[in-house]
Amino acid sequence: MLNNFLDQFATLTVGGLSLGFIYVLIALGYTMVYGVLRMINFANSEVFMYGTFATIIVIRDLFGFTQQSEPATGFRLFYILFLCLVASMLMSGILSILLELVAYRRLRNRGSNKLAPLISAIGMSIVLAEFMRILTDSRYVGSPRVMEKKSLGTFFGAELRLDNTIIIVAGLLLFISLSQFVQRTRLGKAIRAVSMNEDAAKLMGVNLNFVVSGTFLVGGLMTGAAGFFYVLKYENTSFNIGFELGIAAFTAAILGGIGNIKGAFYGGIVLGLLETYASFFLGTQWKAVTVFIVLVVVLYFRPNGVFGEAITQTRA
Amino acid sequence: MNERQQMKKQRLISVAAVIALAAGSAVAVAPASNAAAKTFTIGYQGPLTGEEAQVGIDELNGVKYAVKLFNAKNKGKIQVKIVEIDDQGSGTEAAKVAPGAASNKNILGIVGPAYSGATIASLPFYKQTNLPLISPSATRVSITDPAQGLIGFPVFHRIPVTDRVQGPALYKLATKGVTSPVVFVIDDQSPYGVGLVQYMKLGAGVTIAGSDSVPDKTTDWSATISKVTAAKANVVIFTGYYAQAATLFRQLRDSGYKGVLAGGDGVLSPGILSLASSSILEGVRLTGGTVPLAEISQKLEDDFKAKLGVSSGTYAAESIDATNIFLSCITKGVKDRAGMLKCVKAFKGKSITGSSLSFDQYGDTAGGVMNGFEIKSGAIKYTGAVK
Repeated sequence: MLNNFLDQFATLTVGGLSLGFIYVLIALGYTMVYGVLRMINFANSEVFMYGTFATIIVIRDLFGFTQQSEPATGFRLFYILFLCLVASMLMSGILSILLELVAYRRLRNRGSNKLAPLISAIGMSIVLAEFMRILTDSRYVGSPRVMEKKSLGTFFGAELRLDNTIIIVAGLLLFISLSQFVQRTRLGKAIRAVSMNEDAAKLMGVNLNFVVSGTFLVGGLMTGAAGFFYVLKYENTSFNIGFELGIAAFTAAILGGIGNIKGAFYGGIVLGLLETYASFFLGTQWKAVTVFIVLVVVLYFRPNGVFGEAITQTRA
Repeated sequence: MNERQQMKKQRLISVAAVIALAAGSAVAVAPASNAAAKTFTIGYQGPLTGEEAQVGIDELNGVKYAVKLFNAKNKGKIQVKIVEIDDQGSGTEAAKVAPGAASNKNILGIVGPAYSGATIASLPFYKQTNLPLISPSATRVSITDPAQGLIGFPVFHRIPVTDRVQGPALYKLATKGVTSPVVFVIDDQSPYGVGLVQYMKLGAGVTIAGSDSVPDKTTDWSATISKVTAAKANVVIFTGYYAQAATLFRQLRDSGYKGVLAGGDGVLSPGILSLASSSILEGVRLTGGTVPLAEISQKLEDDFKAKLGVSSGTYAAESIDATNIFLSCITKGVKDRAGMLKCVKAFKGKSITGSSLSFDQYGDTAGGVMNGFEIKSGAIKYTGAVK
């Protein structure tokens, strides 16, 4: 088994990394909102799911791809993928803002207790999932192949497939962009200010509603990007796809330290790799058991996750 | 009242009389027609929505076809209605819908449930109300196995052969023509998937090089694929359902795997064709205890298409057979569930395939075969009985 593992190590690592980057982007959606509002936006998993549908709609309905179509190449491929990414991010970003407006803002403004937004989030998650279930008749929706999954070569014995490479590179770029956004832009600074001390930020003239909406938008955009990458890699979706991915990404956020951008990044990568290695070593049936044992052990020693909740220092 | 007013009044009376007469005739005719045609109800239970909906829709179309022919033949005498019971192919959903079907005393028998898990969840309700079942596709051995508690007795019957036959047949079909087969088996952790592997292992000459058991919501197969690669497998058999099979097969082919891909009757559904491209699915081998209508007779398939407006799908023949058994009992004068159960148990007749059809004491049919299929150019083609 160990020899087999060593033989497959590089391949498993590439697969685990690309899965990990999908987790990272969804985890950023959870972590951004938690950082500012100290609430878990459980509907983020559905925000992700709607992003996957946006991608498939663009591929299937806008560009007319079917399961029998030849994959696109060259500039056309780039153009289609770019549009899919934009559509998915926009869908999730807008949905995220609407969620905040409809389900959370009033509760926040009226000073509800901490549990009310939590229940509201779970309620919105169910509403969004059920709405999609009715629309799709509970069926899996397959995405036609838009890109040939060519091998770009090997790296330490691992095949670098185009889809995995795009996910890893683009995921990294998006993470760096988000970090820079939070660090350098006016809205980013306002987000950090609110997360450090909401009252002080308000006294300094920060428009809280604007910052909260901006946070939901940014978190939604990242989650939407994950939806696009998911369809690119797995070429299907369904109304309940967000549940498992959402749980995994939430776990990643907790593992790294929720409210902490760096924590979401490392948590997502570690979780993707851990799941993949554990599935190979122990069998896929042990994947969830292994992941949650590791989570419990980590939280035992680091109750706020590996990077902690040191939002003020490390969020940016 | 002048002449003009009188004429107007007479005209009004005439119109009123005509309307009254017409209404009276309609009222008089309606009971006569109701009295002439007796209406009976049978049910169909299977996944009509959800991931497995294609299977249920195909089977329901088989039931509709048989009922349509029957109603046309018995016009004015007997009419049969179908109640659709959607269990989404899941035990959890089945446990919610079965009590309603069981308490609907109009339903004399149910074609279905389509899936074994849903069957097991529904059985307590149907056994309690003596409601006869004939499944066109539930193949789990335990339902009719005396050694495992005979959980389906006395109400459950089925047309296809069980997984005891399918397991070894699937192995045989998957390895057919492969020199030095190295077989890797993946189940979806469902009772169906795990059970099929267990019965496969009981087959003569079966050697399995490696296996994995994955949750039925798995989307990322990279670890399993690495195991397949490490085992140097050239035959991969998946025992689960078509929606997941599509993602597994796609990721396996994308990883460079060039060997045989095979699946059981859970994968045998046209639904898989919309979830992966034809180039990925080309050559996938499948088993199923079903015979396509076109293989029985092209005329039959053409008639099916003409009457229902769609081509027949998986388990159409078995659904027609199951429905025909109930219909023949209705023709014989069965009026209640007890009579229907007695009639089904005693049934001896012909399948639309031409072979004899009857049930043994536990509800299984005798002498059935497992058939092979292959996906070619984006269509599922029948390749004959697996021998």
